[in-house]
Amino acid sequence: MGGASQLFKTDLEGLDRLIRKLRSGGYVVYGPVKQGRSWFFLEIDSVKQVDLNYVRTVLPPKKLLHPPREKLFEFKLDDGFEVSEKPTPSAVALFGVHPCDLKAIERQDEFFSQTPEDPYYLARRRNTLIIGLTCTRVDENCFCLSRGTGPEVSTGFDILITDVGNGYLLEPGSAKGLELLKSLGFQEAGDEYLEAKQKLIEELKKSFTKHMPSEGLAELAKSLLDHEVWKETAERCLSCGNCSLVCPTCYCFDVYDVLELNLRSGVRVRELDSCQLLEYAEVALGGNFRRNRFQRLRHWMLCKFGAAGGGLYSSCVGCGRCIVYCPASIDLTEVAGRLRGGG
Amino acid sequence: MNPYVPRIAVIESIVDETPDIKTFRLRITDGGFSFVPGQFVMVSVLGVGESAISISSHPDDAEKFIEISVRKVGNVTGSLFRLKPGDKVGVRGPFGNGWPVDKAVGKDLLIVGGGCGQGALRPLILDVLRHRDRYGRVEILYGARTPQDLMFKYEHDVWASVPQGCLLLTVDRVPPGVEWKHNVGVVTRLFEHVTVDPANSLVCICGPEIMMHFAVKGLLSMGFKGDQIYLSMERRMKCGVGKCGHCQIGGKYVCKDGPIFTYEELKLEPDKIL
Repeated sequence: MGGASQLFKTDLEGLDRLIRKLRSGGYVVYGPVKQGRSWFFLEIDSVKQVDLNYVRTVLPPKKLLHPPREKLFEFKLDDGFEVSEKPTPSAVALFGVHPCDLKAIERQDEFFSQTPEDPYYLARRRNTLIIGLTCTRVDENCFCLSRGTGPEVSTGFDILITDVGNGYLLEPGSAKGLELLKSLGFQEAGDEYLEAKQKLIEELKKSFTKHMPSEGLAELAKSLLDHEVWKETAERCLSCGNCSLVCPTCYCFDVYDVLELNLRSGVRVRELDSCQLLEYAEVALGGNFRRNRFQRLRHWMLCKFGAAGGGLYSSCVGCGRCIVYCPASIDLTEVAGRLRGGG
Repeated sequence: MNPYVPRIAVIESIVDETPDIKTFRLRITDGGFSFVPGQFVMVSVLGVGESAISISSHPDDAEKFIEISVRKVGNVTGSLFRLKPGDKVGVRGPFGNGWPVDKAVGKDLLIVGGGCGQGALRPLILDVLRHRDRYGRVEILYGARTPQDLMFKYEHDVWASVPQGCLLLTVDRVPPGVEWKHNVGVVTRLFEHVTVDPANSLVCICGPEIMMHFAVKGLLSMGFKGDQIYLSMERRMKCGVGKCGHCQIGGKYVCKDGPIFTYEELKLEPDKIL
């Protein structure tokens, strides 16, 4: 290649053409839409519906790649039974995904690619095009900088959009993304666009007020299983499971059968689950190895610190959702701080 | 291949082991099956659900059949108990790692079972019987609640006749009128009769976690090291393939990293009785 990859520039109208092009190419396009005080990834047909200045959505894009509920297969119970699968995902384009969520998707990609591969997730992922969006602002609950997951990203997207003030910088992150940008006839961006982006990133980096550095945290947390912070924090925890449902790296699910009223056919379903719920770790005859609330809270936080569960795959990307949506104002960065000896 | 879709198996025969444990012999209808001792399968009664159950037969028979020994404890196992020979169930797997049969070659083996944990140990015991020369001295300790709750009673004479080995049985209590010539007390009470050499042996344990806790304690004080003690762990499983998260013990997945762990591997993990 000799030098940096091709860069493009466009204006708001150009972004609208991009969305229309995706839709005419068979993609269902989702983007961050503001409703009330919150943002949601909703189906869009124009950039006008999107808030390019958003902070974070309530649910991460996980809801489209690892949906809250999905059918694994159908079964019929006639003579014995027969099982049929139906994995036919439609093509989806995620428009305007922030760096923390891009990193989370990368981790889920790797997690679900482990042997044996998860065919449902991967089929959906292969049919998904991802258009990232550099953040324009940081709020008091963002801490991607200290997690090494933002505000700058170099992978995890097909195209990355950055608002540089007087236009949009478009960086291809895959062959598919490059092809798409070329096909739209966007002009090449000069160095001033990259410089403007760098300036924005530097400004963003200065605005972080919350931090939870990864260095040594997993080992430290694992060595402090008896620390008082677990029980103290659990005093406030409601075990509602919000933290894990809004977490972009939480992947745990329950599996159950639903039988039709005719008692002859049914479906096996999987549904997002939470280790914060009492039933999650129940075993035969009423046994439960995480019966105490502090054990469930500790397990989830250890998982987010990279010391339990899926390790790095399920560890925290610093999006701040669990803090925003905790009804008991529990903040895992404060717990990490306590473990590090502060407070 | 979709790891979530079960294969169809036909129940060929059912043995009543105890008042609440049955052994089901299953024939997989669509071709081959192979496993190693200590692995488990996910057994489906479609419309009810799926449970993780250890395979209790020997791998050499897997082309013809596998057996699972099931205690009736919930919805899925309760439904299994209502099935008859000829009925069909779903089977996924085998999953998990298995007993350290290769590491055990040339070593003494101490096999400690409690309750229906003996189901997961039977493939190992059958391997000793079929390949006696692979192992050194083999001592089998097995405890249950009452004499009626002992599984595989029809095989105990064979287990007990293993050359250079022994079978020691114990029960928690003997109901009035039941004849019992073996020991009474928890399974760790049998440790005083153990003669395998801690320096050159492996221990394989499966039973309720509280029993394994006391067994490990006893074994460590006898001079066994944590990495010689293999434990088959029970945790809830929904997928069996390391995805659903339910079976996590700290950072370990029982379905994928286990179900068999050395005590050394587990001792620092949270949320266990061990």
